[in-house]
Amino acid sequence: MSQFIQQVILGLLLGGVYVAVALGFSLVWGILNIVNLAHGALVIVGAYITWALFTRWHIDPFLSLPVDALALFVIGYGLQRGVINRIIRAPLLFTFLLTFGINLIIVSLLLLIFTADFRSVTPSYSGNGLHLGNVTIPYIRLGGLAVALLLAGALWAILNRSRIGAAILAVGADRDAAQLVGVDLRHMYALTFGIGAAFAGVAGGIISTFQSITPTAGNPYTLQAFAVVILGGLGRVSATVAGGLAFGLIEILAQSAPGLESGYANAIAFVVLVIVLVVRPRGLLGRLA
Amino acid sequence: MSLLAVREVSKRFGGVNALAGVTFTVEPGQVFGIIGPNGAGKTTLLNCISGLTRPDAGDIRWEEASITGMKPYRIARLGIGRTFQIVRPFPSMTVRENTAMGALFGRTNGRLQPAAALAEADEVLDLVGLGEKRHHTVLRLTVPDRKRLEVARALAMRPRLLLLDEVMAGLNHVEVEQALEMVRRVREGGVTIVLIEHVMSVIVGVCTHALVLNFGRTLVEGPPAEVLKDPRVIEAYLGERYARRQQPPPHPAPKSEANEEG
Amino acid sequence: MIAREERVPRSLRRFAVPLGIILLAIAILVPLTSTDAAQQAGLPLLADKLWFRIATTVAMFVVMASAWNIIGGLTGYASFGNVAFFGLGAYTVGVLVSNRGWPFPLALIVAPLTATLFALIVGIPLLRLRGHYFAVATLGVGVAVGEVVNNLEPLGASTGLFLPIVRSDLLFFYLMLGAAALAVLSTWFILRTRFGYGLLAIRENEEAATVIGVNTTLYKVAAFCIAAALTGLAGGIFAQWNSFINQENVFAISDNVQMILMAVVGGAGTVLGPVAGAIALELIIQTLAGGGSAAVYAQIGLGVLLAVCVIFIPRGVIDFFGGQSRLSLRYLRQTLRETSA
Repeated sequence: MSQFIQQVILGLLLGGVYVAVALGFSLVWGILNIVNLAHGALVIVGAYITWALFTRWHIDPFLSLPVDALALFVIGYGLQRGVINRIIRAPLLFTFLLTFGINLIIVSLLLLIFTADFRSVTPSYSGNGLHLGNVTIPYIRLGGLAVALLLAGALWAILNRSRIGAAILAVGADRDAAQLVGVDLRHMYALTFGIGAAFAGVAGGIISTFQSITPTAGNPYTLQAFAVVILGGLGRVSATVAGGLAFGLIEILAQSAPGLESGYANAIAFVVLVIVLVVRPRGLLGRLA
Repeated sequence: MSLLAVREVSKRFGGVNALAGVTFTVEPGQVFGIIGPNGAGKTTLLNCISGLTRPDAGDIRWEEASITGMKPYRIARLGIGRTFQIVRPFPSMTVRENTAMGALFGRTNGRLQPAAALAEADEVLDLVGLGEKRHHTVLRLTVPDRKRLEVARALAMRPRLLLLDEVMAGLNHVEVEQALEMVRRVREGGVTIVLIEHVMSVIVGVCTHALVLNFGRTLVEGPPAEVLKDPRVIEAYLGERYARRQQPPPHPAPKSEANEEG
Repeated sequence: MIAREERVPRSLRRFAVPLGIILLAIAILVPLTSTDAAQQAGLPLLADKLWFRIATTVAMFVVMASAWNIIGGLTGYASFGNVAFFGLGAYTVGVLVSNRGWPFPLALIVAPLTATLFALIVGIPLLRLRGHYFAVATLGVGVAVGEVVNNLEPLGASTGLFLPIVRSDLLFFYLMLGAAALAVLSTWFILRTRFGYGLLAIRENEEAATVIGVNTTLYKVAAFCIAAALTGLAGGIFAQWNSFINQENVFAISDNVQMILMAVVGGAGTVLGPVAGAIALELIIQTLAGGGSAAVYAQIGLGVLLAVCVIFIPRGVIDFFGGQSRLSLRYLRQTLRETSA
């Protein structure tokens, strides 16, 4: 039984990571109608920033999260403003190809800068955890979940309680109408993508605390983010949170099945994706299309 | 034997009853007009008949055999053609090619080869008055011409029943006249027609039978002239106050009759 | 599309010329069975091994881009999972030849069948999805199948599979060329049939297609299966040619993106667009890979190429060759204006 509880807790903790990863992806998809194939690469850029700050100046990974966010916001804003804005009205295949190209470039640059070696961030408390009977909860993972929920709250607040959020939602609902009421579209697109990238950066910072990172380590996260958004439903922060936690649980429980111990993360994501798309296309909490 | 029989068909979207038990029968040779205000469920009804939407309840029969829940392409091949209110041409093809697609796929019997389908398209295009524009790309067509193209593509299927979804909407007076003339010609060719319209006046000129749909229910059914005079219809369209002022009824409108159809 | 028959001379020129070139090339090349023979025949280019490697790769991408074009270009379903068919074809040949000792030709016949069967199984649920959903779901297919293969011991797991080496550059060049010709001819033929028009109708407006009597599910799945068969064939040839396969070289998502880019840049939905795109882009990519010693630069190059192609020529190179518009600054500016924010 405690084995099962441990699994559930691990699942929720992993789910927290997926929430963090999927928030920005979901925002960009929902508002800009772009499925950003470079999302995983942006996540890993955040992870490398945290790693660099930790290795060079011994900055605690959780303290470096704001730096990740800021750096990725700048990168994201620039990418959208300078590149993706140019094809925002082209058929979706083109945004797919373009973001894949961006992904290739980022991954290759990371490879040139950091090489393909495994890098890890190991603060002094990384082995410690909360012991409740037979159940152990690592502090780092708990911190990650807390940050993820904070991020979700922050995104909700930005969208629902701020002027910028109102403008972003307006752009998502109807680009032309938003423009008519005086929203600067190019700026709003870039801002939205920048926020999405900032969230990805923070997610990367979290990931660096429990997983060795390589330039290609972000690729699975793109597909997983997509699976999370499908599972939860597009267009609501709460749906992404539900989708992320559910997806973490599914993955951990699936991996406890014999023969699926490791190495099937993508396959599991894919199977979940297809089942949800075929059985319940609007996700757990999604709105009617 | 009736051509098309719709029995107690219902469809809900979320919490909205788009159709709440609609019943009617279309006889061969009729021009059957279905009118109703926006949101009355007209297009949903057409989608149910052509198979794009599966009704929640009820039965739709084509020559006595049920076609409820059948795939749209099979319904099409039974001889039921339709148009869309918001036109859906194949944009990269010419007018002639668009029309030929109907002949190529929608035939009840025998498969046409592409060349034969093109010849067939020419014939149909002359009938709807697009003959001279057959080589135009769709993007060059005006709104009324695009509506004609919808009709042409459906006619190329040689349907026995043609479902027209608001082909007159957005047309000016002259264009409506031309469209009515086209409908008459199609009917003379032996095609039964179900015509959905938002504008009531259109019905009188061409329909042999009319049905008024309101909130997913049948409000009134009968000969067009009588249906249009019915105070319940005027009320549904223009609101109760207007109905009273226009046609002070000698005695209150018989509500029981109104309910019996729905 | 259908009305081509009114422009017979032009369409004849369009298809007769490339067909003639392909036939002529085969006629010249077939008697040559080795690079030595080519040298004796005074064809120095054909005696060059690097040239064969590049030409065979180009032909391989012609197959993949043309096959993708059948489902992505003609039918309008942008599949990001076609590389799974390539990988399955490759692993079919790999397992049959290396583990079971089958002769290569026999195994090569099975390769497209495996890919087709797989396309049939995943196609039925996935082809109900549209747009982003279809694209990412198929992307998942490619990634997931590669991952599963990478974990299965009988398939060599992460080590991969080694096949007995067959030393004949010409054999594999001819095989790929044959597959490329098959892919192009299939597309050409499909576009002339009722089936082809049905696919175009689905691409242009699926609901309109279904209400005029197109059996959309059947057609989509059939197009997916044809694409799978051709791609699987290319994968099967690749396995024996390369004599080593693993997850990375036969399930690479970047190969999938590359075939899409080739088809799109060349002109998706046309017969020869993917061919033009495959030749042009593969030569650029080979040049990039040859220039920098590290594969990293080739990757960056591909990324930049993707961005440049996608931003400046969304309507495809064939637009220019087709005479619909000229490649000019004005065209590029107009394209930008139409698509940018």
